[in-house]
Amino acid sequence: MIYVLLVFWIISGILAIQARKLIRIIVYLAIFSTISAVCFFVFGAPDVSMAEVAVSSFSTVFLIVCFEKYFTLVTEVTKDPPHKEKLSKRARKFILPACFTAAIALLFVYFLPDGTVNTYLRDLYLYRFRLDVGGENAATSIYLGYRVYDTLFEALMLLISVVSVAHMSWRAETDETDAHFAGVTKSDTVDVYTIRILCPAMLIFGVYLILNGHISPGGGFQGGVAIASFFICRYLIYDVYDVRFGKIMIFEKMTFATLIILAVLFVFLGVYIQLPQLRIPYLLAMNMLIAMKVAFGFIIIFYRYIAFERR
Amino acid sequence: MNFEIVELFAIAMFFISLFGLITSKGVIKGIISMITMEIAVVMFFLSIGFQTGILPPIGRDVGDNVADPLPQALMITAIIIGVAVTAVNMTMLIALSRQFKTTEWDILKKKKME
Repeated sequence: MIYVLLVFWIISGILAIQARKLIRIIVYLAIFSTISAVCFFVFGAPDVSMAEVAVSSFSTVFLIVCFEKYFTLVTEVTKDPPHKEKLSKRARKFILPACFTAAIALLFVYFLPDGTVNTYLRDLYLYRFRLDVGGENAATSIYLGYRVYDTLFEALMLLISVVSVAHMSWRAETDETDAHFAGVTKSDTVDVYTIRILCPAMLIFGVYLILNGHISPGGGFQGGVAIASFFICRYLIYDVYDVRFGKIMIFEKMTFATLIILAVLFVFLGVYIQLPQLRIPYLLAMNMLIAMKVAFGFIIIFYRYIAFERR
Repeated sequence: MNFEIVELFAIAMFFISLFGLITSKGVIKGIISMITMEIAVVMFFLSIGFQTGILPPIGRDVGDNVADPLPQALMITAIIIGVAVTAVNMTMLIALSRQFKTTEWDILKKKKME
């Protein structure tokens, strides 16, 4: 069964890479991400599966907005002359890259390490994580306890990308603060009513994921993306543009600072070992802070794109 | 040379996207190839040590056939970073298309020569 899924996965990936029309690229990428989420679930990783689904639904909307901007800007596109070149001449362009890729692939497969997978670290983590970190979800315990350094740097990466997006994008000179998002502005369609009904459920689902991140699949990242998608839906329904960038960016940086202070206090200074009753509150607080960080970052990126280069 | 068939699929997808990245005419193809490449890397890390009927590492008494929680914890962060990288790429794409009115490598090279 998993092999059938993987074959469809590769086919949809190839279709997404070779597609010409932008709308087809978006659809094939959505199919690709969804199938990979199902595969992650079969591999025994429901957390990663949930993150992939949330992120793919966010990035579909995001790519639609980006390609809409791109269409209004690009005027010069080379139209490749169909059937003028011979097939052999067209194929000759692909021989060298194909040989190169195949050579690297063969080297990679040849130098894969021999022997069975070493499960020492897995057994140690599975045996010790309830005693050391607390909680019931091993993945959450690892990224908030043993590997909290990785999480901090991931938050830093997100902060840097948000700052660079805000720095490189600009608002159009004509300051139409309530300009319309193409096609979705009419508030009497069925879609808008459906989204309006689904919105509270989305918010509740995000809060549920955050609060139960340490005992069930879920956590800060997934809940944060769910809450960000709630705000995106809010834009689609009411078509208002009343986000204050300055405030949200200050909030995001303050969240990041709090995240670092909490992690340093608990994990690096060892409050964790001395006060075991504070472990569950620590996991909850860290999940909430990560969710706020991710939600603020995605809201800034999305609204920045809406305002970016508007005509 | 010791790998499962499941890992081979992920490796194949990674190199197919590398091929797409090399032979891309425009910037958009490159960005799409990078997205698929990132998902293929995640798939490779999660498929290491796969057995049929493997269980997620959640709960108290799960037995022996449990997935490795360490790659999962790393891959959650990798997915979020992938979206951030895509966002920065898209920003640069729109800035490029505003300045040069095109995103194809051949025309961009010519315009840079002038």
